[in-house]
Amino acid sequence: MNWDAFLVGMVPEHFLLGGIVLVITHSILFPQGRGAAAITFAVVFVAAVSALGLGLDGYRGEPFVAQLAVDPFASFGKAVALVLALPVLLLAREEHGDGGPLYPLILSSLYGMALMLGSESFLTLFLGLELMSLPVYALVLLGSRRAFSAEAALKYVVLGGAATATLLMGISLLYGHSGSLALGIFARALASPQPMAVTGAVMVLLAFFLKGAVVPFHTWAPDAYEGATVSMTAYMAAIIKAGVLLAALRLFGDAVLSRPMVQLLALLPLVSIAWGNLAAMRQDNLRRMMAYSSIAHAGYLYLAFLGAGPGRFQSVLFYLLAYGAMTVLAFTVVPAHADDRRRDQLEQLKGLFHRRPYAAIVIGLAMLSLAGIPPLPGFVAKFLIFREVMAAGYTLYAVLGLVGSYLGIYFYLRVIQYMFMSPQPTTLAGEAPARGSALLASLLCLAPALLVAIFPGSLLARL
Amino acid sequence: MDKALMLQVVLWLPLAGTALLLLMPASAADAIRRLALWTMLLQFALVVLLYVSFDAGVGGLQFATRLPWIPEWGVAFSIGLDGYNVLLVLLTGFLGPIVVAGSFSAISKDVKLFYAMVFLIQFAMMGTFVAQDLFVFYLFWETMLIPMFLMIGIWGGERRIYATIKFVLYTAFGSILMLAAVIYLVLVAQQAGGAASFAFADLYKVKVPIDAQLWLFAAFGLSFAIKVPMVPLHTWLPDAHVEAPTTGSVILAGVLLKMGTYGFIKLGFPLFPDATSYFTPLIMALSVASIVIGACLALVQDDIKKIIAYSSISHLGYVMLGLISLNLIGIQGAIVQMVSHGLTAAGLFLMIGMIYERCHTRDLAAYGGLARALPVYSVAFMVLTLASIGLPTTSGFTGEFLVLLGAFNAGWAQHVQGDSAALYWAVGAVLGVVLGALYMLRFAARFLFGAMKVPHGPVADLVPREKAILAALIAAVFWLGLFPDEPMRKTEFAAREYQQLVQTSRVPGVAAAQAATPVSGTKP
Repeated sequence: MNWDAFLVGMVPEHFLLGGIVLVITHSILFPQGRGAAAITFAVVFVAAVSALGLGLDGYRGEPFVAQLAVDPFASFGKAVALVLALPVLLLAREEHGDGGPLYPLILSSLYGMALMLGSESFLTLFLGLELMSLPVYALVLLGSRRAFSAEAALKYVVLGGAATATLLMGISLLYGHSGSLALGIFARALASPQPMAVTGAVMVLLAFFLKGAVVPFHTWAPDAYEGATVSMTAYMAAIIKAGVLLAALRLFGDAVLSRPMVQLLALLPLVSIAWGNLAAMRQDNLRRMMAYSSIAHAGYLYLAFLGAGPGRFQSVLFYLLAYGAMTVLAFTVVPAHADDRRRDQLEQLKGLFHRRPYAAIVIGLAMLSLAGIPPLPGFVAKFLIFREVMAAGYTLYAVLGLVGSYLGIYFYLRVIQYMFMSPQPTTLAGEAPARGSALLASLLCLAPALLVAIFPGSLLARL
Repeated sequence: MDKALMLQVVLWLPLAGTALLLLMPASAADAIRRLALWTMLLQFALVVLLYVSFDAGVGGLQFATRLPWIPEWGVAFSIGLDGYNVLLVLLTGFLGPIVVAGSFSAISKDVKLFYAMVFLIQFAMMGTFVAQDLFVFYLFWETMLIPMFLMIGIWGGERRIYATIKFVLYTAFGSILMLAAVIYLVLVAQQAGGAASFAFADLYKVKVPIDAQLWLFAAFGLSFAIKVPMVPLHTWLPDAHVEAPTTGSVILAGVLLKMGTYGFIKLGFPLFPDATSYFTPLIMALSVASIVIGACLALVQDDIKKIIAYSSISHLGYVMLGLISLNLIGIQGAIVQMVSHGLTAAGLFLMIGMIYERCHTRDLAAYGGLARALPVYSVAFMVLTLASIGLPTTSGFTGEFLVLLGAFNAGWAQHVQGDSAALYWAVGAVLGVVLGALYMLRFAARFLFGAMKVPHGPVADLVPREKAILAALIAAVFWLGLFPDEPMRKTEFAAREYQQLVQTSRVPGVAAAQAATPVSGTKP
């Protein structure tokens, strides 16, 4: 163990771990007390700042040799995920109250992600991935107000379990082939002609596709997104997705892809883009629509893996920030409704501009950004990804991906059409009044998103 | 004030106006209208100052600003005036206050949002014209889409949702392919020249293999041709025009369509000269088809807004014909025709809006003999109609005449060498002039003369605000018709540069001596 790297490099993890202990202690000492949300928010904020600081500083170290490393990649990844968690925490406080099991679970999940992003071996990777995922199964069920949530959580658990099993099988094959658990064997197996190595690598890859909700492994996403509370939907869509993608990125390293791998890595994401966007058109439920949208976005993100070199990391991280911030942004201001089932209906958004102009404009910005329309951050992010794919020589895949993204424009615009172009009464029965913290949460999403949209150069220069 | 800074102010002023609007209470409709008008007037005043100080005696960019923005990709925020855009910037600035003043009485719903959208559109259009960096150009080009989507969708007619979604889906399809082409082009430039750059000036020098040129030109060209629109990609336009509020139609016809033709003259043709020469017969055919088919369709419409909508397709066909003729006179004529069409179509759409506000129908059969009921209106309408037809002394004459002259000159030169196709297309275009007179005079005759029919009448003639708007438009029409010399001199350097760029082959390996030889035999 390397004490210096352990003390300095793992500061974000230490804060998160301390936070877990603190929140649990707090809930034992003050069972009815308030303040767990504030503690969690503060802890995540400090952890995000320290991760950002480590990243900007370019800190490199290896707290546990060949198991866990701290490098700018891991630090920036942690920073992005933790920054996105801040508005989600504000939302969660509104929905779940100030206390209870939610906060230690979220902190554990974030802690797991932080470990995963720094992993050097499959052991830590698996540990982190499971520590990140297991609390989420509980989070989906938490605060549920209808039987459907249990079904959604069960689906999520079963398919998450399938992903875990696939991942473990893949790891065992890779271990059997190479006798090593270092992450680097995955990249080598990708280029290897050995059937056992290739099978192992493909199984690992499919597990990550499943976790990231890529077609045809996407079916859990719409149900899980719809069944959870809104804050937990945002958590899954933005932060878990970021964690999974960044871990996959770490796994790939600077791997050179063999021809069949390129096809696998292009085909499923492209199908995902097309299918996600087409299926989203048919949804009349906002969160199911967002789930299909996230399936399409998983497609863009995995497509970026075709790129080579540092551009792959830049484009994925940039995209995750823009996509995550805008997805959470849309969820922050969606009006709450007394009837849990009706709040998700797209119909509820009709005439929103006349009831709540700020909410409508903010949701509109989020939709346009997700659709990739300039000058919003989603455009720069999409530009970066397709530039990487084209620069790597896969022009056809890039063009297909762009055409696929065109399919998505319609359903994002439909949300805007509902909000701005449908005359509706200025009040709607059952609609809860606007939440104060929603404003703060939306600003927490807008600030980083606008920053990267206006000054993408300064961010890219540091990555 | 420093002129480069002034151009920045011109560009950003509408955005600042939007920010100001957001601070105002939504109930203060009159104050909002006044703010919008004064902002636009201020912008126009600055544009006029820039236009006057634009030096016709030198080529290249004037009042340019270049700020590094995303240095990793070679993107710079680069704007400036040149011979290509100076007249279009003047037109955009001129139509700004007219659009605002023309919507005072028509728009009473969501006034604040409406003027915010007008400002955003103005900002995006101005930006598209002054941008000198491909990335910045694309940003502005696409930004325009959303406020226009909202404008048609919120304040439009009965089938507004259908029309606005059709508009966005058509335009966005072109834009997506253009985006792919932009990325590819810059990567090619990077591989050839080393440093990444999106600057137009750098991209003009990039040598692109012929097969790549064909694809890239197809992508850029599709996007621009949808916006122009050229037959057969025009079907979004009538729907958008008919369902849009008057303001939307005026902006569409006045400036927005010119973004397509401007895209061709600034990017599509000069970036890919070899592909242009390969596609010249097709473009010429489609231009003439637009002229003739647009005119024929205009001839059979019963909806007065549709007549003008189809006439736009016809008039922009001339612009394309002039640009592709590669004849100096034709190119300059095309630029004048862009401005002229902007003035006359904007004026006619405004006048249709004025009569619609009074009589609530756009059915041509419902009207008749307006000359007696609304004398002032009718005179103004007649003047704009004649300008649209191209009567000498009006701007329409200057544009169309020069385009046809250029097309004939170019066609004759080729005819002498044994290739008569271009000459036949030029003859076909003349047919459009006749048809143009036919449909506009049919429209004016039924509308203004004959038995008096005024739906929901009797109605009042023009109010002073409307008179002022039309007087300004008519003055501009005559200015361009009687004194075309001065504005045309400002475009001359650009027209020459364009001609030279498009006539120089840029396929790698082709020596300069062979540059003028068309490569039209090459297959992709």
